[in-house]
Amino acid sequence: MGQTVAQKIVARAAGRDTVEAGDYVTVSPDYTCCQELAWQTRKRMMQEIGVDRVARPDKVIMVVDHTTSAAMGSSYHVNHREMKDFAFRHGVDNFFGAGSGLRHLVLTEKGFARPGLLVFSDEPNIASIGVVGALNIAVSSEVVATQIADENWMMVPKSARITLDGRLPFGTLLRDLAQILIRDYARTDTLSQSCIEFVGPAIAGLSLDERQSLLACAYHTGADTALMPVDAPALAYARERAQRRPFHLLESDTDAVYVHEAAYDLAAVSPMVTVPPELHGAVPVEDVAGLAIHQAALGSCANNRLDDLRAAAAILRGRRVDRAVTMYITPGSRAVYAQAATEGLLAVFMEAGATVLAPGCTTCWGYEGVLSDGEVQISTHQMNYHGRNGSRSARSYLASPYVVAASAVAGRIADPRPLLAEPARAWQPREPR
Amino acid sequence: MTTRISGRVWKFGDNISADDGIIQYSQVPSLDTFDIPALKAMCFAELAPRFRAEVRTGDIVVAGRNFGHHSHQHACVAMKECGIAACVVESTDSAFIRKALNIGLPIIVCPGITALVDQGELLEADLATGGIRNVATTAMLCARPFSARMLEIWCAGGFASAMRRKLLPAKE
Repeated sequence: MGQTVAQKIVARAAGRDTVEAGDYVTVSPDYTCCQELAWQTRKRMMQEIGVDRVARPDKVIMVVDHTTSAAMGSSYHVNHREMKDFAFRHGVDNFFGAGSGLRHLVLTEKGFARPGLLVFSDEPNIASIGVVGALNIAVSSEVVATQIADENWMMVPKSARITLDGRLPFGTLLRDLAQILIRDYARTDTLSQSCIEFVGPAIAGLSLDERQSLLACAYHTGADTALMPVDAPALAYARERAQRRPFHLLESDTDAVYVHEAAYDLAAVSPMVTVPPELHGAVPVEDVAGLAIHQAALGSCANNRLDDLRAAAAILRGRRVDRAVTMYITPGSRAVYAQAATEGLLAVFMEAGATVLAPGCTTCWGYEGVLSDGEVQISTHQMNYHGRNGSRSARSYLASPYVVAASAVAGRIADPRPLLAEPARAWQPREPR
Repeated sequence: MTTRISGRVWKFGDNISADDGIIQYSQVPSLDTFDIPALKAMCFAELAPRFRAEVRTGDIVVAGRNFGHHSHQHACVAMKECGIAACVVESTDSAFIRKALNIGLPIIVCPGITALVDQGELLEADLATGGIRNVATTAMLCARPFSARMLEIWCAGGFASAMRRKLLPAKE
């Protein structure tokens, strides 16, 4: 029977010719990647095992991304320090400290995520590395302990295939499609324990940043993970960063088995807003437009890449964030931050009255940008449940960078299309006063 | 060692979130450590206010589709510390199964389970065979059996103990 890309990746890591969906296998992942927020549980696991040893330090990637600075009153400075010490003690070269960016971006930008590789990480949203045909498998407190013996068990995911056709209409982004998919699937278990393979003619027209935006949201459809075919732009990106480290170009066999297949026409997508507190609550922006907001946040592994910042800048250029709104913008990595500076995006954000934070997860899980009772936020974050960003009586609406930026300007949830359609006024740096 | 678990059922519906259902992750006092009394106090508190007072060691959680989505391990710790011996669910995600198994709590995916058993009934689950049985009605379903590795982890009481046994047999 034919194999999907995901099955081929797992089979290689398991030292087998083929694997079937649902098989339990022992694999040697190509990398294991962890963050600092849950460091104490990772450390305790090592202590309980009683082994202070790492079989393959070259496979370990440690990233401080949830807490971009060790703030007064938080205990996370201890985790920063202990992770750094662990890395140095065990010869782990790939330690990335506070402000480096999210694991998702570090993995792709530094060329760890490469076609055909298996990555064990501590987060399902790292499926964004599927943009270069790498497979993310989310594990848990054993993410570091996996490296004691360079092996762990996993279940081979089922495979599902979603075909994308058409072109996104004006004013929409792939984030809108992600919210539609979550609306359609999150209450079912159609995609449960599966890897979604996104395919189809639309993908060629999507930037790598946009593709990662969709992949990073795939988990919320109920799937375990996701990936995309490695086309010429994806391969060029991966090859440039691989620096002669190996990778494996794989394709799904024509007779591979998919437990579910569906097709989406991007031309039918419109700007969406997901209404809290659940993830399936996506509605057209028109349904909630006009609701006053207190905070707007652009960031999270779903929308913190250059194209996301460019989208926000397309609206914010020459405009001001409403005075009732606090706006946070969080680039996903140092490289994104630097390029945003080069392109003048940071100046656009400053002029608009937004705050640019250090690269990291921060506002998405409520480390910064904490909401008070009754406040309303619109963001590109991943989650919207009660209390995710502070008070349990605050409400967090989710949307694309366009919708978030337009709402920040309007002071209320707003359709981005009229602002995008207006000819952008020429932007001039203000004279120093 | 037996691989059979039997216990009284606590039954929940579909789409029980780990972070805003099993517990309230936003209300966890410290994310760094597992604050056991706090986690026990919030376990299923919003969904079943009687749970905290009436749960007994060895009880089994039965739930519908998408149990424990967006799972932080705190939800697993909360259930385990309340005495839950196993969860048998229509569906969940693979990461949640790992998070629970790592602390010795088995989650069994068993389509049809919500029709098999009701609140308060006695359920029997055999991890090695996948057999799931309503003790009163004797109706049975067959889930995917745990692998030998998963059974090792469960028998040892968690990932760390299983790993320690494997790596340091002389010390045991």
